Amino acid sequence: MAKRFVPSSIPMPIQVELFGIPRQRAGASEVELDAQDLGTLLVKLGDRFPQLEHVCVEGGRLKQGYLANLNGRQFVSDPETILSNGDAVLILSADAGG
Amino acid sequence: MTDVPPGYHGRYLRVELSTRRASDVPIPPDVLRRFIGGSGLGTWILLQETPDGIDPYAESAPLLFVFSPLVGSPLTTSAKFVVLAKSPLTERINDSLSSSHFAIAGKKTGYDAIVVVGIADEPTCLVIDENGVRYESAGEAWGLSSAAATEVLKRQLGAGFRYAAIGPAGENLVRYATISHDGRHAGRGGMGAVMGSKRLKAVAVRGEATVSYHDANGLVEYSKRLSHESFGPATAKYRELGTAANLLAFNRLAVLPTRNFQSSTFAGAAQLAPEALAVTHEKTRASCAACTIGCEHIYQLGGQQTGVRMEYENLFALGPLCGIAVPDVVLAASQLCDELGLDTISAGASIAFAMECADRGYLAAPELRFGNGDVVLRTLQQIGHREELGDLLAEGTRIAAGQIGYDAADFAPHVKGLEIPGYEPRALQAMALGFAVGTRGADHNRSGAYEVDFSEEYDRLNAGEEIVGPAIEKEDRAALMDSLILCKFLRGVLTDYYEDMAEMLQLVAGFDVTAAELQQTAKRIVTAKKWYNIRQGWTPEEDTLPKRFLTDRLPDDSGPSAGAVLSAERLQALIEAYNVARGWEPTGFVPDRSLREFHLG
Repeated sequence: MAKRFVPSSIPMPIQVELFGIPRQRAGASEVELDAQDLGTLLVKLGDRFPQLEHVCVEGGRLKQGYLANLNGRQFVSDPETILSNGDAVLILSADAGG
Repeated sequence: MTDVPPGYHGRYLRVELSTRRASDVPIPPDVLRRFIGGSGLGTWILLQETPDGIDPYAESAPLLFVFSPLVGSPLTTSAKFVVLAKSPLTERINDSLSSSHFAIAGKKTGYDAIVVVGIADEPTCLVIDENGVRYESAGEAWGLSSAAATEVLKRQLGAGFRYAAIGPAGENLVRYATISHDGRHAGRGGMGAVMGSKRLKAVAVRGEATVSYHDANGLVEYSKRLSHESFGPATAKYRELGTAANLLAFNRLAVLPTRNFQSSTFAGAAQLAPEALAVTHEKTRASCAACTIGCEHIYQLGGQQTGVRMEYENLFALGPLCGIAVPDVVLAASQLCDELGLDTISAGASIAFAMECADRGYLAAPELRFGNGDVVLRTLQQIGHREELGDLLAEGTRIAAGQIGYDAADFAPHVKGLEIPGYEPRALQAMALGFAVGTRGADHNRSGAYEVDFSEEYDRLNAGEEIVGPAIEKEDRAALMDSLILCKFLRGVLTDYYEDMAEMLQLVAGFDVTAAELQQTAKRIVTAKKWYNIRQGWTPEEDTLPKRFLTDRLPDDSGPSAGAVLSAERLQALIEAYNVARGWEPTGFVPDRSLREFHLG
């Protein structure tokens, strides 16, 4: 994933979509958060939904068993992954077996 | 038999229905170590018992119920069994897993497997208990659902038995009929039709034979730890939502097969999702015997006393694949499949395929349209009883396409005759490889390659040869879990697959196996399945996907998967790389050196 410098003062609304257990725990299917990278987004997600902290997210990272996906296309985990205005980040349960 | 390893009985029961003779067949200890149990041991037995090129319905065609060294142990999720036979749907090897008390009671009969050959002269229930083998008439149960037949047989035989039974679909030789036990199904590949061809309505098992364990105390401690860990986050999805939780995520990623694989998103997904069903329908949870996960989510269908188990695969196949967005239709269709004894994936796919044929004018069936729930329910009945259009669709999409003609074969959604489960291959291209090379056809339980697609290291829309190794690894792990046998929903709990499984086998059977040996064991089992198929007439041309997936791009409105396609050339390159990485010929044939290496010659 390409990384680039983004001034921290620019608002960066990111749509976070929750699926599976993250949605169950949060009691919400989506939320808009302002973040310039994935790590910041996950910290803010934990702040917004404390019930996700230590369950799905911890210290700006996803806990084992959960995945993040950028715009439905690329799975990402590096907290330094740069986000762009209008990006959607999907938070999913990792196990896809059916 | 002093050299039988702990955890085993060291023999299988061979029942000849035509002559009503039964015999014990010893299993060499080295075979048990090399093939373990379940799917692996079953493949070895099939190789011994199946004449080359046999008709799946032939009198000498064997039907196997295979247990494992872990069955009956305190290890969570270990109460499982495998049904194996040559599939009437694919004409290739088929191993379908099911679970719960039949596995435990079956092993307590004193056998590691039950092999049934021959054809009974009347509808029969094969009874195996502490007194031996007997053959009871199943005349009163014939024509009933597996659940109703079980109730009849319980009254007939008395207490204490566990049953595996077929429904009307198995009796009527629907090529994707199931074998059911307590609402759980050996679902794929038509094992119920093989059982029906033998006029075998049910197998009843009861016993008191036990096995010892190599390190009983260590096993109890290990089992406690594993059970404790199985309550953790790795299984939360299965506990709280069930496999149906895939639906919304798959729809968002645009990998949800819809309208016979014409698209990969479904506008009605939100209505069908378990999150919505839990609001509109009363729900309970259940578990298999000896399971601490409890993945079964049972929804109440209006006015009925019994609930309907809802899994992702029946939800996808009887919902989006047929264009159905009405929850009660999908629940009713799932219930009907259970009662008739139909594999929900193949049934839904066969109807969806027929709907597209009708859309194109290939079938004169004006009501057969995507989204018509009444037609889905009526057609399921017709399939189960082989009436009207159902007689054609009971053959599965491969044979049906051949009879319909035109270009129907290009969009009949199967690999080797087995209908494709709910993972769009163009948008999950590691899974596409797994489907194409799968020995029992398109199969998400034998190839877990979707996990490769759902990882950040690989591009699910542009798979190159870098996905081959990881895809093989997923297939190997599945082969091993299906042989121990453990539920795959436990896989997130295991910290080191092979080390964990080696430790379990050491505790149970006393095998001083290493992780490296188990990796070889997994490869041996996969190669044994391939060798079985070769002996039954496999050709390299079978390892492919229907033309649709290789030429038609996913529609532009398919969100993140828009435009995805996997060319025939790229798929072929992946298949050849897979074959070479397996140590086989580039064409997929197994060389003599591999047969020698794995003792398969």
